[in-house]
Amino acid sequence: MNLLRSPGTADLPSPVRSVLSVRMPTVAVGLLLLVTVVASAVLQPGFFSPYGLSASFATFLPLATIAAAQTIIVLGGGIDLSIGTVVTLSSAVSVVLMQGDDGRLPLALAAGLATGAACGLFNGLVVAVLRLQPIVATFATSSVFGGLALLVLPTPGGQAAPVLTGTYRMVLLLYVPIPAILLLALFLGWRLLRGTRFGQHLYAVGGNADAAYTSAVPVSAVRVLSYTLGGLVAALAGVALLADAGAGDPTLGTQLTLGSIAALVIGGTRLRGGSGGVGGALVGAVVLSLIQGLVFFAGVPTNAREFVYGCIIIAAIALAGLLTNRNGSAAGTTGGNR
Amino acid sequence: MGSMTHRNTLGRGRFGLRALGAAAVAGTLLATACSTPEGGGGGGGGEGDAEGPFTIGVSNGFIGSEWREQMLSALETAFEEYEAEGVVDELVVESADVDINGQIQQIRNLIRSDVDAIIVNPNSPTALDQVFAEAADQGIQIVAIDQAVESEDVVNVVIDQSEWASISAQWLADEVGEGGQIIAVNGIDGHPANEDRWSGASEVFDAAGVEVVANDYAEWDQNQGQTVTRDLLASNPDVDGVFVQDGMALGAFRALEAEGALEDVALVGEARVGYMREWDAQREEGDFSSIGVPNPPSVSVSALHVVVRMLQGQEFAADALDGNNAWLPIPETVTDDNFDDQFAQVEDENDAYAVDHALTSEEADAYFE
Repeated sequence: MNLLRSPGTADLPSPVRSVLSVRMPTVAVGLLLLVTVVASAVLQPGFFSPYGLSASFATFLPLATIAAAQTIIVLGGGIDLSIGTVVTLSSAVSVVLMQGDDGRLPLALAAGLATGAACGLFNGLVVAVLRLQPIVATFATSSVFGGLALLVLPTPGGQAAPVLTGTYRMVLLLYVPIPAILLLALFLGWRLLRGTRFGQHLYAVGGNADAAYTSAVPVSAVRVLSYTLGGLVAALAGVALLADAGAGDPTLGTQLTLGSIAALVIGGTRLRGGSGGVGGALVGAVVLSLIQGLVFFAGVPTNAREFVYGCIIIAAIALAGLLTNRNGSAAGTTGGNR
Repeated sequence: MGSMTHRNTLGRGRFGLRALGAAAVAGTLLATACSTPEGGGGGGGGEGDAEGPFTIGVSNGFIGSEWREQMLSALETAFEEYEAEGVVDELVVESADVDINGQIQQIRNLIRSDVDAIIVNPNSPTALDQVFAEAADQGIQIVAIDQAVESEDVVNVVIDQSEWASISAQWLADEVGEGGQIIAVNGIDGHPANEDRWSGASEVFDAAGVEVVANDYAEWDQNQGQTVTRDLLASNPDVDGVFVQDGMALGAFRALEAEGALEDVALVGEARVGYMREWDAQREEGDFSSIGVPNPPSVSVSALHVVVRMLQGQEFAADALDGNNAWLPIPETVTDDNFDDQFAQVEDENDAYAVDHALTSEEADAYFE
């Protein structure tokens, strides 16, 4: 099971290399997290109050979850521009079935998750079997899913189940919001996935599909599965959004696509695939949300906020990129010649 | 390789254990204490705070439209008057192109800024319910403008969009007569204001026996309005009229002008200066008729009057609220008859300026006991 980037390192399995390659970006994003948290604590009144923590994590979770979904796809060498509309469609399906009734929650959630996975599967088949360019193919499917969401939920409406919204806003022991625990669960879920054979294959296919193919990795199957899993996780983001919003809307989540990509890049995942991880993307999403709040609380004039926010994001991405590239050249000297 | 496999297995086991541990801890925590943070958090205000001066937050989720700019600048001007009287002290504005998730964050930022009230132009009539409840829990008064919301924690200070659209629809129905055929250029499919308006207009057309042969969407954008109107005209060359919502009528006008169809096809106009200039020019040339129903951006000012009174502890009069809606009057329609008067008042403004109207303080008092 040697999944390699170059024949010269035939005896060094890629999981080792991927562990090595995430280390530097993790330092970068860790640094960013530290800076943004300290700045938030200074600038935002009540940042560490129970309401402050609960409100912050409630805001982080949807973006972090969709960033995790996008990362799984990008690691496998793909990209999904339809991921925001997958969130929209799955949340629309959920809320239509839910109708504000706790008893219907399990069915509604199952249907929403199945919808997300089905969208992902469809994307995966289009990309891996029809061999269309992911960026174009998923741009096209985003219209399909967005259009379907409008058919399922033509106008905003539909209440989320009270137990869902209630649980989402709950805080344990005064200081631990439920969304924070879900964020941790997401990370642990990823660590479990990464340890599986599929997890290893994902890095191999994203790193060098040809080499993976010659090492008998089922490249197409891995790609399809990565999109399907991505769709499933995107549907989880839809559930989180629904819990946070309290009601359905046929535009819920559509604009999260670019945020998901920015978060994973800040988190040190390489857009070409094969390097990075969900952990970094989760932190990247938190950093992204915190920066948005900071620009507001720092008292930047309304009209300049978008500009300042954009500049900070560029700086954050540059920092992540700088450290990733350095690491890339370091890896080059140890054998990988990509 | 052998050692690596081992390490991976080990890793899996370790994280499996950790996950188990976390679940156990979470279970214990859940059993010992859980709560929903309310009241005593970072928010301020509260019912007893009727003295002022008050801090007012604004959440606007869509920029780049002149209408929204006018909405905000009019609000700032009116705010300064209250500030001079010592009634209010700070206006905290959150204004950016955001989706619903972003607007939820905007409102949370306002809550944490200790505002006493929030004026919101909402991106969704339903999906901000939870964050409105969070704000209301902290004693913050919330008023929605432009777009009504369903949340009972919010008072909508809005015009009736359905009635707004029915006025120009009635004019068009009279122009084309029973059996007339029209095309419709609407805003955004699924957008609540769009749905309300189109349902109001459709009712009028059905009742008058007017046939809508085609309906498309141009996102309240003049350029798209022009393209969509041109395409609809190309596929339906024999129509008698064009129904178009505001923000797109100038585009529709240009499309008709390019086809040389201004004389034969009746067009719903808009109460905006750019369109009114064209209207004015056509009037001088002869037989051109149109209508413009104002959709006033200064609804933000009306909302400020209302929310200040709410903060001062005044109660709504018995008949002031319809559900959670405080309906605003629709300003006087611009017609062929009053055009010269109306145009003279706004002639010096830029093309994107919308004919405006706000409640006066006295009119706002009438909504309260």
